[in-house]
Amino acid sequence: MLNVPGPVPITDYAVCNALGSTRPEVMQALHDGKTGLGPCDIKVPFPTSVGAVQVALPELPSELSTWTTRTAQLAMLMLGQLEPTLARLRERVRPERIAVVLGTSTAGADVTEAAYGEYVRTGALPADYNLWKHHTYGAVLHVVGALSGAKGPAWMLSTACTSSAKPLASAQRLIAADMADAAIVGGIDTLCAMTLSGFFSLDALSSKPCRPFSGERDGISIGEGGALLVLEKGGDAQGLLEAVGESSDAYHISAPHPEGSGAQAAMQRALDQAGLQPADIDHVNAHGTGTRLNDSAEAKAISSLLGNEVPVVSTKGYTGHTLGGAGATEAAISLMALSEGWIPPSLGAEPLDEKITLNIATERTHGSFKRVLSNSFAFGGNNVSVLVRGV
Amino acid sequence: MSIEVAVLGMGLYMPGYPTLERWLAGERDDSEPAATGEVLDKRSRRRASPITKALADAYGQALAQSELDAATVASVFGSALGEVDTMIGLLDQMWRQTTGLSPMKFATSVHNAAAGVVSIATKNKGFTTSLGADFDTPAMALVEGMGLMATQGQPVIVACGDEAAPSDLVGDQAGWGGLTCAIALTPADDAPADAVRLKGPFMAEPNLPPPDLPRPQALSPDAGLLDLVDSIARGRTGILRLDRGRGRGYCMEILGRP
Repeated sequence: MLNVPGPVPITDYAVCNALGSTRPEVMQALHDGKTGLGPCDIKVPFPTSVGAVQVALPELPSELSTWTTRTAQLAMLMLGQLEPTLARLRERVRPERIAVVLGTSTAGADVTEAAYGEYVRTGALPADYNLWKHHTYGAVLHVVGALSGAKGPAWMLSTACTSSAKPLASAQRLIAADMADAAIVGGIDTLCAMTLSGFFSLDALSSKPCRPFSGERDGISIGEGGALLVLEKGGDAQGLLEAVGESSDAYHISAPHPEGSGAQAAMQRALDQAGLQPADIDHVNAHGTGTRLNDSAEAKAISSLLGNEVPVVSTKGYTGHTLGGAGATEAAISLMALSEGWIPPSLGAEPLDEKITLNIATERTHGSFKRVLSNSFAFGGNNVSVLVRGV
Repeated sequence: MSIEVAVLGMGLYMPGYPTLERWLAGERDDSEPAATGEVLDKRSRRRASPITKALADAYGQALAQSELDAATVASVFGSALGEVDTMIGLLDQMWRQTTGLSPMKFATSVHNAAAGVVSIATKNKGFTTSLGADFDTPAMALVEGMGLMATQGQPVIVACGDEAAPSDLVGDQAGWGGLTCAIALTPADDAPADAVRLKGPFMAEPNLPPPDLPRPQALSPDAGLLDLVDSIARGRTGILRLDRGRGRGYCMEILGRP
């Protein structure tokens, strides 16, 4: 008998990015229409804006100090904000029934990047560099497990820019299949020179703050950060994870299908899983990276499936594209829209691209939003659409 | 809770043993060429890294043996380090400042490169994913696969693999050899009567010792999947640890044929 995933309570969530290190800070910046994008402090031979986390990150406790990376510290910062919920969860649920399913595209790549630079200069890696404690996905999982007390299944999804959206689907399946009672999900990416240089080499990086859906858009701005969410069977919900649609383009390793067919399939599958119609969606938090191709393909997908009335926003003009952290970040921002009853303007979108017929919100829009689709699309033609519902 | 599933096909690529058949026959041949990535389309094959081709070879064998529909079967790719050699090449380019980064190398440096090119080659618009969990990578790839089968009732191909240890980054730690392995699974209710049944992964006390592997492959983060595949192919039954003692202790129970 199939265990079809149903709505799962999201009992808490934390978010940290260039806009701030707490939910109120991020919400206030979105409310004020204030971008977190600014000058790039990382040395790269081209101009660009980045969304850097500005807050001083906490030191890992001494027993974990050799596992220190920026990713692990960001995880610690957000876990600290979730601790009251996690403490309650640990009393209610056996640790072995709490899963950790996260996503990243970088993990500790920034540490490896610096270590390799020293290797090139001196012929030796830094004495304290350890591949298993600094670079790998397991390193971050170890730190999150130790800090949260979760001892259930733990893995890191890495599907480029959908990395932290997919954990919501994995955890929903685990809970539906009775393989876990709760899960810490989400993901984090950090800035590094290789990522910036890579997107520059693809001619996908803007020299200025990105402008998703604008007629004048010319590429992405990269950001860092992420979000962690707590999913609990039978928990006291701040929002509901209703469904997640996943698909593949089967088209190109780094370019979207021009008609957005894979993106549309992911959104359709989310609706199908939840038993909903397009008219049930009140808002779309778009992937909206700010490249010509991506925005155009996504606009066609949204328009074909949901029509042109539903308000659409890309929040990457605020945070930058947090890559492996984007899916969770935007799921969190979608939850904020549900609880607050407003969506922020799509920063930088004006003048809108005339070929894009969507209802792109260019000013703060108030409404009674019940359901939001949050899109994430990635290299490899990987597409995810997360459907969250207010309570 | 762990569900019962059935094995429909298996595959392997490692240096000296380009197929599971050759491995089981003990026919090592070091003159064998590198992984071919035969299941990939020509363009992807030309651009694919050695680990992507090796994963594709193992995946292709499991797919062919299972006779599943390549265009619809779900796939879970696991790798502890993913495209680490490609990443080192990019870091080398960047730090030595010889040229700008290769856009093609950057695009295929993502952990889900193999998942992406296999979906392109097989025209599969369905589910694919890519994950890592150090020495628990095989166990967690199987957990992800079990979740899919339990909720969607569809077959899944799980493929895990890593390149040989990146000597530039592991320093004087013990290195491991390249290894990729794949297994095609389906919910037991839908399986042919003579298909081997499995249960897990779960924490347990193993009662099945791991098979003998060459030392470099035994050290691979993915050795546990080869242990499982080898044990199934040789008709062994019992509870087998999936991490050779270096992970958290997840096991799989091989129930044999019903």
